[in-house]
Amino acid sequence: MTLTPKRPIWALSSWLFALALMAPVAVMIWSASSANHDTFLHLWQTVLPDYIINTLLLGGYVVLLVICFGVISAALVTRTNVYGRKMLRWLLLLPLAMPAYVIAYIYTDLFDYAGPVQRFLRDIFAWQSPQDYWFFDIRSLFGAALMIALVLFPYVYMLVRTAFECQDPQMIRAARSLGLNARQTFFKVSLPLARPAIAISASLVLMETLADFATVQYFAVNTLTTAIYDTWLEYGELSTANAIASVLLIFVLIVLVSEQRARAKQSHQVNSRQHIEHVYTLTGIEQIAASAFCWGLVVFGFLLPCGILLDMAWRYFDVEQFNTLLSSGLNSLEVSFYVASIASVLALLFVLFRRLSQVKLSALPLKISGLGYAIPGTVLAMAMLATFGPLDHVINDLAVQFGFNAPGLVLSGSAFAIVFALVTRFSAIANGTIASGVEQIPQSLDYAPASLGVGLWQTIRQVHIPLLKSSFVVAWLLVFVEAMKELPAVLVLRPFNFDTLSTHIYQMISDERLEQGAIGAILIVAFGLIPIVILNKKEKNH
Amino acid sequence: MKPILTIKNLSVLLQDKLILQDVELSLAEGDILGLVGPSGCGKTTLLNTIAGFVEQSRGEICIDDIHIGAGSHVPPERRQVGVIFQDYALFPHKTVGQNIAFGIQKLKKSEQDYRVAELLKLLALTELSERFPHQLSGGQQQRVAIARALAVRPKLLLLDEPFSNIDARLRDELMIELRSLLKSFNMSAIFVTHNKDEVFTFADKIALLHQGSIIQTGAPKAVFEQPASWQVADFLQIGSWLKVKSVGNSLFTALGEVNCEQLTDTPDSSIELLIKPKYLKLIEAEANCIVKHITFTEQGYHYILASLDKHCALSFERLSFYSEQLLAVGEKVAIHIIAHQYQIFVRE
Amino acid sequence: MFKKTLINSALAICAILPTFLAQAGEEVNVYSYRQANLVKPLFDVFTDQTGVKVNVVFAKKGMAERLAREGIHSPADVLLTTDISRLIELKDKGLVQRVDSSTIEQAVPAHLQAEDDTWFALTTRVRNIYSSKRLGDIDISYEDLADKKWQGRICTRSGKHPYTVALVASMIAHHGETKTLEWLKGVKANLARKPQGNDRGQVQAIHQNLCDLSLGNSYYFGNMLTNKDQKEWADAVNINFPNQGDRGAHINVSGVALAKHAPNKANAIKLMEFLVSEQAQQMYAETNMEYPVREGVKVSDLVASWGKFKADSLPLTEVAKNRKAAIKLLDQAKFDL
Repeated sequence: MTLTPKRPIWALSSWLFALALMAPVAVMIWSASSANHDTFLHLWQTVLPDYIINTLLLGGYVVLLVICFGVISAALVTRTNVYGRKMLRWLLLLPLAMPAYVIAYIYTDLFDYAGPVQRFLRDIFAWQSPQDYWFFDIRSLFGAALMIALVLFPYVYMLVRTAFECQDPQMIRAARSLGLNARQTFFKVSLPLARPAIAISASLVLMETLADFATVQYFAVNTLTTAIYDTWLEYGELSTANAIASVLLIFVLIVLVSEQRARAKQSHQVNSRQHIEHVYTLTGIEQIAASAFCWGLVVFGFLLPCGILLDMAWRYFDVEQFNTLLSSGLNSLEVSFYVASIASVLALLFVLFRRLSQVKLSALPLKISGLGYAIPGTVLAMAMLATFGPLDHVINDLAVQFGFNAPGLVLSGSAFAIVFALVTRFSAIANGTIASGVEQIPQSLDYAPASLGVGLWQTIRQVHIPLLKSSFVVAWLLVFVEAMKELPAVLVLRPFNFDTLSTHIYQMISDERLEQGAIGAILIVAFGLIPIVILNKKEKNH
Repeated sequence: MKPILTIKNLSVLLQDKLILQDVELSLAEGDILGLVGPSGCGKTTLLNTIAGFVEQSRGEICIDDIHIGAGSHVPPERRQVGVIFQDYALFPHKTVGQNIAFGIQKLKKSEQDYRVAELLKLLALTELSERFPHQLSGGQQQRVAIARALAVRPKLLLLDEPFSNIDARLRDELMIELRSLLKSFNMSAIFVTHNKDEVFTFADKIALLHQGSIIQTGAPKAVFEQPASWQVADFLQIGSWLKVKSVGNSLFTALGEVNCEQLTDTPDSSIELLIKPKYLKLIEAEANCIVKHITFTEQGYHYILASLDKHCALSFERLSFYSEQLLAVGEKVAIHIIAHQYQIFVRE
Repeated sequence: MFKKTLINSALAICAILPTFLAQAGEEVNVYSYRQANLVKPLFDVFTDQTGVKVNVVFAKKGMAERLAREGIHSPADVLLTTDISRLIELKDKGLVQRVDSSTIEQAVPAHLQAEDDTWFALTTRVRNIYSSKRLGDIDISYEDLADKKWQGRICTRSGKHPYTVALVASMIAHHGETKTLEWLKGVKANLARKPQGNDRGQVQAIHQNLCDLSLGNSYYFGNMLTNKDQKEWADAVNINFPNQGDRGAHINVSGVALAKHAPNKANAIKLMEFLVSEQAQQMYAETNMEYPVREGVKVSDLVASWGKFKADSLPLTEVAKNRKAAIKLLDQAKFDL
C-alpha cells in the first residue's frame, strides 16, 4: 500500500544520510583493495590464523556464557519463585551499565596471582609458588570472555525475559492440559518459542564482542581487532589493516544476517499482555542453587565491581583530579548529547521512511545505517581520518580560493569526527529501538489520518511522533550511554586538550592505576543506570 | 439519483499479481452497499483503492466530482472518503474528543467544538469524551471511529468488516442503529463483510466479488431470488446443491425426476440444481434420505440429510431441510421436491 | 587551469597559515607518545617562563598516521616520542623538518641526534633485566634469556611494545635474523606466562614469586622505589645492566622533533630548547629517573646508586632500521600468543 508515491526530498535525505554514515566504511574497503600482499601473506603465514581462531573462540565463549547466564536467569525470574524475584527482575539489568574494560581491570586486580583472593588462599593453605596450586587464570581468553559476558548478558536476559513474559498463557495451559508438567512445558514450549529472542540478543552480544578492543588488549588476548591495530601502527600499513578489518566485517555481516533472520521469525511471536505468574515452585536445594545463580550474576556483574570502584574513589580522591574529571566529564556529556540526538533523529527519519514510503527498497537506508554497529571503533576512527582528512584539505583550499582564512582541520581535527564516528557506530541501537516502537503502531493508524483529510506531514507530527516519543527517549538514552562508554574511536580521533571520561579512565587503566580514575568510572556507570531505571519505570506503568 | 461513486474497468496489480480485474460498480447517493465475497477475493483491496491507499493500474474511479484515473492519482486525504478500519485505528494518545476533532483541525475552534459535541451526542458518547480509547469497549470504540469519520463530512464512508469485532448478541442491534444513523445523514457507504446476514440487515445493495471481479450486483432480495451464477448462490448459501442427469426435458436427481425448461448444452457432470429448503417436503413414501444432523432453530428443526444410496452418481451428502416435525438422527425419511421454477447452474 | 589554482592556493596556505596561526595566540601544540602526566610538569614550567600555552594531545599510537593525514593543515608543532623507531619513522615519512638551533645541537651529544637535525634525543633509558633478590648478584646478558635454565622463570610485557621491539631490532643488528628468531623462540619457551601488563607488572610478578627475571626500563625501578604502593615490589628485585661483559646494555631514547608544517615554529623551537635546558633535563633526571642527554646534568642520586654501566654503542639508526624485521620475527615466533 502506498501513502506517499513520490516524496523525492524524503527519499533523497534518507538515502543521503544513510550513505554518508557508511561512506567511511566504503573508503576503508576501497583502501583494502590496495593492501600490501607481502605483509598480508606474512601475517597469514604467521599470526593471522591464530588471531582468527582467537576471535572465533572469544565470540563462541561469550555467546555460550551469555546464553547460559541470560536464559537461565530469565527463566528463573519469570517462571519460578526464586528468592528476591521482584528485585532480581531489574537488578539483573544493571551490569549493562558497567564497561567491560573497567570490570576487567577490577577483576584482574582481585583474582590475579598478586590479588587479594589468591594471596588469601596462599596464606590459608601455605602455598609458596604458582606451581603449588591451580587457580583460574583470569588474564586468558576465557577470562576475557567471562568479563565481556558478565556485562553483556543482560541483553539476552532482557529480550528472553520479555519473550517469556509475552508468551500466551493459553499456550502454557494447553501444554499442561495435554499432560506435560511445568518443567516439560518450559523446555518443550516456552524455550523453543523464545529461540528468536535468544538468537537476536546473542548476535547483538556477538557484535559487541567483535568490536571490543580495550578488554582483550588489557588481557593480552590477540584478536582480529588488535591485529588491525598492530598492522596499522606497527607495520604502518593502513591498507593491509583495512584488509583485515574487512575480514572482520565479513564475520560481522554473517552475524548481522542471522540476526535479521531471527527477527523475521520473531514477528510470529504473539505479544500477550497477560502475564504468567510463576508456575514452578522451587524446593530447598533448587531454591538455594537458583538464588545463588541469579544473585551471583548481580553481585559479580554489578554490585561487587561497583563497591570496589566506590572504595577506590573514597580512598584516592583528591581535589586535583576534580578539575580533570570536570572537563573530561563535560566533554563526555557534550559529545554523547550530540551523538544521541543526531542518531535518534536520523533513526526516526529512516524508520518512518521505511514505514510510510513505498519507494522501492525503502527499508535499505535503515538497514545500511545500522551496519556501523558492527564496526570496531578503531576501524571506524581510521575510516574517519581517511575520509575527512582529504575533505578537510579540499575545504581549506576552497576557503583560500574564495579569499577566506584557511579554517584548519574542521572535520578531522575536531569533535566532529568523533561525533560522526559514534553516530555511525550507534545508529543501529537507535534504529532498532525506534523500529520496534513503530511496530507497535497498528498499520491502520498510518492510513486513518489520510481518510480524515489530513496530509502526511501532519500525520507524522500528530500521530507518529507523539506515539514514538517514549521509544525516542529510550533510543536517545541508550545511545547516550553507549557513546559515554565508547573508547577506541575517541582515543584516536580526539583533538587537543580533549579527554572524555572513557579516555581518562583508559589512560589510568593502561597505567595500572584505575584508583585515580575511579570517580570517572563511577560517573559512566551512574549515567548508564539512567536508561535502565527509566526503562524499568516505563514497563511498570504499562 | 446521481451516483456518488462510479468505478469503471478498474484493475489493480499488487506485487505483479492481478488482485482486481475490470471491476465495474456504481453507488447512488445515500445508498449502502455491502461488498461480499470469500476471503482473498479482493474486497479489502477494492476498499483501499477507493480510499486511495492503493493505486489502480487501469480504469477509473469517480467520487462525486473527483475523477481518478490510472495516471492521475489523487492522494487519500483529498478524496473526501471516510474509512472505518477493522481495528478502528483510534489514536491511542488522544482522547475521544480529540480523536473526533482530528480531521477538522483546520476549522475554527468554535465550529470544531460544535461538530464534536453534536456527534458525541448523536452517538451517545458525550460521557466518554475525555476518555482514552483503551478505556472503551469495542462497541464504544467503533462509535468513536464512526464519529471521527463523520466529523469531516465525507462524501462516502468505507467500512472494513465493521461488525466482526462485535459481540453476536449486540450485532443486530448495532447494525440497525448504525443503518439509521447513516440514513439520517444521507451518507453513502460501502462495507465489506463475509457474512451474508449482515448484508441483508444492513445494505440497500449487494455486490459479490469473486477472484477479483464483481460477479453480481443488485438489491439483496433480487440477488437472493435470482443468483446470477453458481458462485453467487453457493456463497450466499441460498440452498443446497443436487447433482442431476438430464434426459430430454427431464432432470433426474437422487430425490426423483423434475421437469425443467431451461437446459443447457453443458454436460450433466458440471450442472447442479439449486434447491431452497422451502421447496422440500416430507412425504409418506419409500425413504430416500437419512437424517445426519439436527439443529434446533427458532424456525423449527434444521436437518442435514444425505441420500440413502451412497454409490449412485447422483447421491448427495448435505441437503438442508427445515421442519416442525421431530426426527431422529439415522432416521430414514422420504423427501419430495415441490414443483417450482427450477434454477440450475453450471458449476465452474 | 583548476589544478594550477589549486596548487597555487595550497602554496598560499603554506605561506599564510603558519604566520596566521602564530599570531592567533602564543601557543604551541604537542603531539605526545608520552603519558601526559609525565610531561605536564615540564610544560607548566615552560609556560610559566615564557607565557606560551602548551596544548597536548596524548596518544600511544597512531600519531604518525594522524600527522600524515593532516598534512599541511596539521596543527602539530612539537612531536614527543618514547622510542627511537618512532622518531625515525616520523623522519622517514617526511613528517618532520630540520631544526636550526645551535642551542639544541650543542646540548645533545652527536650520537643522540640526527645528522640532519631532524630529531634529538631528550633522555636515554636502559632496557634492564630485573632479577629476583633470591638469585643474589648475577651477571646476565640478553642472550642468556633463551637459556633453558630459565625455563618458566621469565616475565615480560607484550613483544609488540616498542621497547621490546627495539631490543629485538638491536639483536637483529648484532646477530642477524635467523639467530634472533631462534633466540626469540628460546625466550618464548622460557616465559612463565603469556606476555602481558606493563614493565612494573613484571616486577610485581617477581615479587609474587611468579617468575625470577623480567625485562624493564631503568626508570621504572626508580619510580617504583619512590611509590609507596610499589616499593615492596621493587625491594624484591635487583636491577641488572645486561651484557656488561661484551657490547653493553641496549639503550633507547625519548626524543623530540619539529613537525614539518608546524604553525607555531618559533614557539616550538623555544619549547625544544627548553626541553634540553639544564632545568628541564634536571627535572627529567629527578622526577622521571631517566638519564639526561645533556652533559653535566647529574642523574638522580637513586639512579646513580645503581652504578655506572656500559651502553651498547650500536647507532640508534640501526635499531630503527631493523624495526619492521623485528616485528615480523615476533609474529613468526608467535611471541605474544
